[in-house]
Amino acid sequence: MTPPARRSVYVRGVGAFTPLAPTWSATVAQLADGACAIREITAFDATGFPCRHAAAIDRELPDEDRRMPYARAAAREAWMQARLAVASARLGVFVGAESGRGRWATVLGLARAARGAPGAPGASGAFDHARFAREARPWADRIDASVLSPSAVAVALAHEVGAHGPVETVSLACASGSAAIVEAARAIRLGEIDAALCGGVGADVDPLMLAGFGLLGILSPRGVSCPFDAHRDGFVVGEGAAMLVLSAERGDAVVELAGIGRSLDAHRLTAPDPEGSGAARAMSAALADAGLAAVDYVQAHGTSTPLNDRIEVAAIRRVLGAAADRARVSSSKGALGHWVAGAGALGALYAYHAIAAGEILPTANLRTPDPLCDVPHVIGRAVRADVHAALASSFAFGGANSCLVLRRCG
Amino acid sequence: MIRVVIAHHAARGPYLADAAPPDEPLANPRARKMMSRAAYLAALALADVMRALGLSADERARAGYFLGVGGSAGSLEDVGALLDASIIDGAFSLPAFGDRGLPACNPLLAFQLMNNFTMCHGAILEGLGGPNGALFSRGAGTVAAIAEAAHAVATGECELAIAGGADVATHPVTLAELARDGFLARGLVPADGAGLIALRAGAAAGAAGDVVLEGAAHASGRGRPLDDALDDALDDALADALARAGRGSIAEPDVVVLAPWGPPAADALRSYAAARFPGARTSDTGTRGDALAASPALAVIDAARVLQATPGGRALVLALGVDGDPGAVLLAQEAA
Repeated sequence: MTPPARRSVYVRGVGAFTPLAPTWSATVAQLADGACAIREITAFDATGFPCRHAAAIDRELPDEDRRMPYARAAAREAWMQARLAVASARLGVFVGAESGRGRWATVLGLARAARGAPGAPGASGAFDHARFAREARPWADRIDASVLSPSAVAVALAHEVGAHGPVETVSLACASGSAAIVEAARAIRLGEIDAALCGGVGADVDPLMLAGFGLLGILSPRGVSCPFDAHRDGFVVGEGAAMLVLSAERGDAVVELAGIGRSLDAHRLTAPDPEGSGAARAMSAALADAGLAAVDYVQAHGTSTPLNDRIEVAAIRRVLGAAADRARVSSSKGALGHWVAGAGALGALYAYHAIAAGEILPTANLRTPDPLCDVPHVIGRAVRADVHAALASSFAFGGANSCLVLRRCG
Repeated sequence: MIRVVIAHHAARGPYLADAAPPDEPLANPRARKMMSRAAYLAALALADVMRALGLSADERARAGYFLGVGGSAGSLEDVGALLDASIIDGAFSLPAFGDRGLPACNPLLAFQLMNNFTMCHGAILEGLGGPNGALFSRGAGTVAAIAEAAHAVATGECELAIAGGADVATHPVTLAELARDGFLARGLVPADGAGLIALRAGAAAGAAGDVVLEGAAHASGRGRPLDDALDDALDDALADALARAGRGSIAEPDVVVLAPWGPPAADALRSYAAARFPGARTSDTGTRGDALAASPALAVIDAARVLQATPGGRALVLALGVDGDPGAVLLAQEAA
């Protein structure tokens, strides 16, 4: 393998489709005022669910698979802002996404074709291939993998922007969006492509995923997302898409993606390493990659779960040392909930905004900071600040960590 | 020039639908209940690689892990229990789902559903802590995971990286997808499998017998179906892999190993290989069963095995995924 000389990576455009507004520019104004998009779920009957609140997008949307309209809108905004001229073969698309959802009746039909209805003759509860072959066809006809697969989003976006370069999908749970940006930056740096549309999309305000998260006991029973607050009790699911256009050509960019870092906790499935060493390694790697020892702003993963927030703050302090007292910290999840596969890309937009606009967006719902989460929080409303460099962190279930360092162009 | 060599490899499968599933112990036996079948197969292969390499805990903590993953999908026994408890008067009821379905369900279902856990389960069991990626793959996307692992080693991001793919084509939902899209009718033989290779930087002057991964690339299928002519996309992938190998052209390889997504892709790959490399021996990993996201990794292992017995030999792996997306991997054995 021949490692080429490393090229700079510039942020040429950003876009988002959020529960607050259909564009990032319209969302930012509300976030700056401390708005919160979390409401009681109305899209389905959430009676009996461990959490009945979410930051959901409740507009009428044409597609059954909600990921597509979210991602398309965010990509369109970012692409229009970028005003790029790039050969199609030199343009890639990198998206963090998980699977779309089939209808309930379809999933139930397939489950019954596989194992029989409870109490039905011959139903053993185990997968019966012969029964499946006989009975699954009507349900199988409703499963369109080209629409529901995680990769469907990236493939659709590549078609929209005419990208003939690499089209990759990262399925890394809560770190997917950030890791997709890492993949895009890596490809540009190494000269494989000249520009990329990248980011993430989450559409998990959905009974199956709420069930999955609820079974793990990590959702807020109160339905309040308040990262770093003394009263935090779990996260609240959100949904939306955030996209960036990255390029090797600076154009009129004011922000560059200067550092990337990744690690695995190798600890436990649900809980991070109690010492935060995996998170710290990813942060340190991103800072070292950028050639920096400190940043002015940290867009934290900040999920509002009791353990994770405390461990993350400890890791921030260990990595930044005394500089942690001068770095403002906030989390997007207080206002917009946890977008899961889209969360890391949303965090990157917060970091971008801090540098480009000189404005750090607040952690919504943070009122009584936990003494064990002692860093300079941004509370209530946005603050003006001269931000030269920012760190955006994402830490996934299963222990995959991905961090980005953005910096003002020199 | 950084030489990236294959330090070891391990495979599980491909297992056909009627084959007895492997039943091998894990380092943590309780982890099995939380795993999808794809995660289990990947964990078994990873344990093989780790045993062979004999790494220290520190070396494991720095090692990278990049995996091409298919839809991991929970067991239908667990999903079915969730849904069966949610039926009122013969119809699915969301309130019943919340009240009775959730308590009836395996509380660890989420760990089976999320695709990244195909990678994370093994990483946790084996203590891998370096750079990582779970790249969703509908076939050839697994080549992107291999390419990225090679880059991570070549650029010094890590000294050793594990790369490959794992998938379960015999899962009922995947079978349903394959049936709907006509692949089963056209002869795709669903199989489960996992294949992993360990990559590390070799000495500048290589040791005789080393199998070197010279370059790997995954290209876009440009949105075209498998039945379209895709030679230009395959040319793109091959050109990218050659560029990463620091070469402008390819000599006739001794062997071309194909990793197709079922027969339509196999036909396209065979036709391409015959036209471009008429003197090369061609083999098709898919003839043992189509393990989808695992296939490109299993093909690289097949190629490495051939090269281990072919001093100075060269091999090319060509993959073609369901989205018409091609991948190419260039391998060579260092001559004595």
